[in-house]
This record gives sequence, C-alpha cells and structure tokens, in this order.
Amino acid sequence: MSKKTALIITGFLMMAGFAAWVYQFKEGLVLTNLRNSYTWGLYVSGLAFFVGNAAGGLVLSSLIYLFGVENLKPFAKIGALTALVNVTAAMVSIIPDIGQPLRLYNIFIHPKLTSPLVWDVAVLNLYAALSLTYLYILMLPDLKGRLQWLAIKVDNPKEFSQKLAKRLAPFSLVAAVGIHVITAWIFATQGAREWWHSAALAPDFVAAAMASGTALVLAVSVLTYGLKEQYRQAYRTMSIIIAVSLFVHLFLMYNDYFIHAWYGAPEAMETLSITFHEYLGTHAFEVLAPLAAVILLLNEKVRNNAAAMIGSCCLLIAGILAHRFLLMPGAFGKIALTISPLGLQDVEWPVPIASGRYSHVLDTFVTEWHYFPSAVELAIFTGVVAFAGFLIILAIDWLPIVNPEES
Amino acid sequence: MRRGMVIDLEKCIGCRSCVVACKQHNAQPAGTWWNRVVTPGSEFHAVPPVKGREYFLPVHCQHCQNAPCEKVCPVDATYRHTDGSILVDFERCIGCRYCMAACPYGVRQFNWEDPQKSMQDYGYLPGYTFGYPQDYRLNGRLVYTPVRPKGVVEKCNFCVHYLAQGLEPACVRGCPGKARFVGDLDDPDSEVSKMIRDKNGFTLLPEKGTKPSVYYLPPKRKEV
Repeated sequence: MSKKTALIITGFLMMAGFAAWVYQFKEGLVLTNLRNSYTWGLYVSGLAFFVGNAAGGLVLSSLIYLFGVENLKPFAKIGALTALVNVTAAMVSIIPDIGQPLRLYNIFIHPKLTSPLVWDVAVLNLYAALSLTYLYILMLPDLKGRLQWLAIKVDNPKEFSQKLAKRLAPFSLVAAVGIHVITAWIFATQGAREWWHSAALAPDFVAAAMASGTALVLAVSVLTYGLKEQYRQAYRTMSIIIAVSLFVHLFLMYNDYFIHAWYGAPEAMETLSITFHEYLGTHAFEVLAPLAAVILLLNEKVRNNAAAMIGSCCLLIAGILAHRFLLMPGAFGKIALTISPLGLQDVEWPVPIASGRYSHVLDTFVTEWHYFPSAVELAIFTGVVAFAGFLIILAIDWLPIVNPEES
Repeated sequence: MRRGMVIDLEKCIGCRSCVVACKQHNAQPAGTWWNRVVTPGSEFHAVPPVKGREYFLPVHCQHCQNAPCEKVCPVDATYRHTDGSILVDFERCIGCRYCMAACPYGVRQFNWEDPQKSMQDYGYLPGYTFGYPQDYRLNGRLVYTPVRPKGVVEKCNFCVHYLAQGLEPACVRGCPGKARFVGDLDDPDSEVSKMIRDKNGFTLLPEKGTKPSVYYLPPKRKEV
C-alpha cells in the first residue's frame, strides 16, 4: 500500500470520526451506550491506550542517551514521533467523553489541584512539549532544503543535536514514566471501585506501556527501514524489551488477581467474575494475543519476515487495547453500593441506580449493564486511531524522520 | 456547623413520597432521580425478601466529609458549601463524569441528552414543567436551575434553595412517616446528634472512609 492510499484511508476514517463527534456534540452522550451506572467506556479506555502507546519515545531515548545502546539511534526520531502523536491522540480521544467540551477552559482557569485529571492534563501537555522538542532537536541536522526555514542557526548542528538530546533524556524519562503513573492514578485513587483501587495499577500501566509503546516503534521502524542487516540487532533489542515488559505486566496483573482471589472477599470475587466469566473471551485475548506476539518476536525466523514482525506488533497492541477496554467492566459492572441487608444471612445486595436514560423495555433503576460501545463511540475511536496513523505517515513523508543515507 | 441528616428506618414505610417530592421540587429531568428508596434484599420494591420481614432504605447524596467526588472534580464544579454539604455548579461542570466514577453511592446523575427532548420521549404533555421555578445562586454560583443544560452532572443539593428561605428539604417536608431529620452534626446537643448516639446511628459503606453526613437509625423490627 502506498503512502498516498494510506493517507486517503486514514484521512477518510478521521473525517468520519469527526463527523460522528459533531453528531454526538449536537445530540449529547445519549448516543453512547453509557448510562448513570456505567459512566466511562471506550473513550476513557482510549485515553489509557494512547498514553500507553506514547511510551516508545521514553524507551528509545533513555536506552540510547542514558544507557548507551547505540544501535537504536536510527530509530530515536521514530520514537519521539510516535510519542508525540500518541500523546496528542490521547488528549484528542478524551474530548468526546466530555459532556460540555466548550467549557474545557475551566480546567485552566479553575483547576482543582486534588484532581488526578488536572495532573494528567498537565503531564500530558508537558510530555507533548518535550516530545516535540526532542523530535525537533534530533531532526535539526537534517533540516535542509525546503525545510531550511525551520532550522535554528547553530555552529555545528550535529554536535548540538547530540548534546541537547543527551541532556533532555533524563527529563523525558521522568515525564514519560509520569504520564503512565498519573494516568493510572486517575483510576487507582478511586476507593469506590475495587477493580482500580490497587497499588499494582500504576506500575502495571508503566509495564504495559513499555510493551505497546515499543511495539509501535518497532512496527513503524520495520515499515520504514525494512530488515537490513545493520538493524537486526536493534530489532532484537526492541523485541526483548517488549517481551520483558509484557511479562512484568502479566505478572503484576495476575499477582493482583491472585491475592484477591485467595482471600475471597465477596466484593473482590464479584469483580473478578466479571472479567473471568462475562468477559472471558476478551480476557483470553488480552493475555494470549500479546503472549503469542512476543513468542513470535523472540523467534529469529519471524524477525526475518517484515510482515510477520509488523503483524506481531499489531497483535500485541490489539491485546493491550483489549486490556484497556477491560478497565471498565470490572469497575462499573459491579454496583459499588452493595450492602448486606439487616437481618438477612449471607446476602450481598446491590442498591439499584437510576439509569438516567429512558427505555421502553429497561427498568428505571438498574444493577446490571453489559456494555459494548455504540456505533458512534466506535466511529469516533476509530477516527482517533486513524488520526494517529495519518500524522505518523504524514510526518515520515514530510520531515526527515527516516535517515536518508540509511533507508 | 455541619449540616447532616438522620433517617429513622423504623419510621420509614417505603412509600417513596420523599423520592417523588425530591423529583418534583427539584425539577429533575426524565430518568433522573436524586433520591431513591429500596427494599434491601428483595427482588422488587416493597416485596419482603423473607416472608413477613422487610425494611426500606432511602439513598441519596451522603454529603460526605471525605467526599471523593469533590476531590476528583477537575474544575471545582463540585464543591463544599460552608455548612459541609456538597454542591454542583451547573455552569462550571464540564461533564467528564469523574465524580460519578468516584462516588460509591451511585447518586450522581448525568444529563445524557437535552432534558426537553427526554421529556418528550417520556410522553409528558408538551409545555408541562414542574419544580421550583427559579434559578438559585449561592455566592454567584448556579447550584439550582429548573432547566438543566445537556451534558452536566447533578445530584441532591440538600435543597440549598429552600434552606435560604428557612425551609427544610423537600424530602423532609414530604415524609408522611416523619422519618427524616436535619440538624447540626457538629453540635453534640443537636437533635440529630442525640438520635445518632441514643439509637445506634450508622452510615452506608463506612469501610470506604467517606465519612457521610447522612446517618440511618436501624429499625427495631421489620415492617410487616
């Protein structure tokens, strides 16, 4: 598929997503499949997903400039680009979730400092600014010809670029760990939702992000640079990072489930049963797809085939997306106000919540909701994915992201 | 001063008058209920879970001292009034629904669509309106409005617009069983504080550490 076709397809999906958002803006969030008892869905999962994909910049810049893994150098710009694009997509993806988007300026003029959402807005913007600076510094020596006007004047652009990149690396490392930790804290701080209220969530977000963020860089790298001999070692390094991160993620996740399952408190068991019964298929996918992907990536024969490598990376990212989707059912599938009625033995009873939406068939007060995104939610989310793809393709086409002498 | 409420479950007959009074007085849009009364353990309201044994539990905003909804609001739309109650500024709320994720009591309601439209879906007569007809501002902040904007969160405001007129909340005035009492929880000699002490007052989900300002008195016997 040529770049032009890819741009047309992603551009079309992007416009379709935007149109769906305009429609939702007009009609209200009634067009989603959310309701009072189940207030967050695909849009918020999307935020966590895109933030995770933005980890690539961190992995590469810190490995290259802090730990001296020189063979990754050609891919540093791809890392910075995917980081910038995904952190932007994360911020875009959350806008459709806002009931009154025109009032968003209130976050800047009346920020409440106890809200993790305020911290997240701050750290995502900081990370976007850092990624952009990073990308610019790395591109500086190659800003020639028609891009000359973009370049600031320095004596030795190459040396200047390397020196500054090295100095920025520790800051981008902190900011990058910060975006995952603070995004996780949006959820993990909430005592009302047992599914999120865990000290394991923030480290798990970092681990999952290192896997999906690196997989995205690897996929884009293989797509642009191909499988030339001089890159083989770097691809192997990235595959190992993906594999180790995924194993840490799976460990943190199951460690959390295990201690809750062992103790067997009814509220924890109910939460677990949502994931392991109602959403068993999705759970199987979130574990098996990334696992299959890393087994493939660790195999040298697979790494001899560009399509197989890109496919494996996509499989892993899809698995992490399923993981992000599963943030919600465990949290909202169980009514937080579940009580033991006075005088009844062994009864746990969920207090129904007003659904907030009229339906001829459904009850006014509800305790259960099997959420699946509506067509509008899916169109908007697909639009944001396409937006990220569009920006990456466009940037690679227009900017000196791929080193000309090496590609 | 900490304005709180005591609900005597011994006196509650499960009639849901408070639910209706709340809904009507506060002009709640179709599908929105700030207040609800349930029969714990039963399959349907007012049906005993065990033959001849039942009690009723009214649930609305608990106006917690450690309110997660207040802490998560990114724009300070949900905030604490000087009397300790938690209010929502209809003009400030951006509709992110973080407070709804944070609240363990399920009392927060979102305006999923334009309330005028949902009224039509419900089949209300065209032009029919109900509830306290005027906006009420507290220090300039819109804490009650009969016409809700689309895309904002709302919940029990402890009838702050009636408090200004020296009136009790609609649910208290509308309770035929006289099961609800409002008073100062900070004053150990107030009627509500005494009731909590003398009649084993308890709160919902104490394990969540939210420190509610709504206390319940256990029923001595179940309604039959």
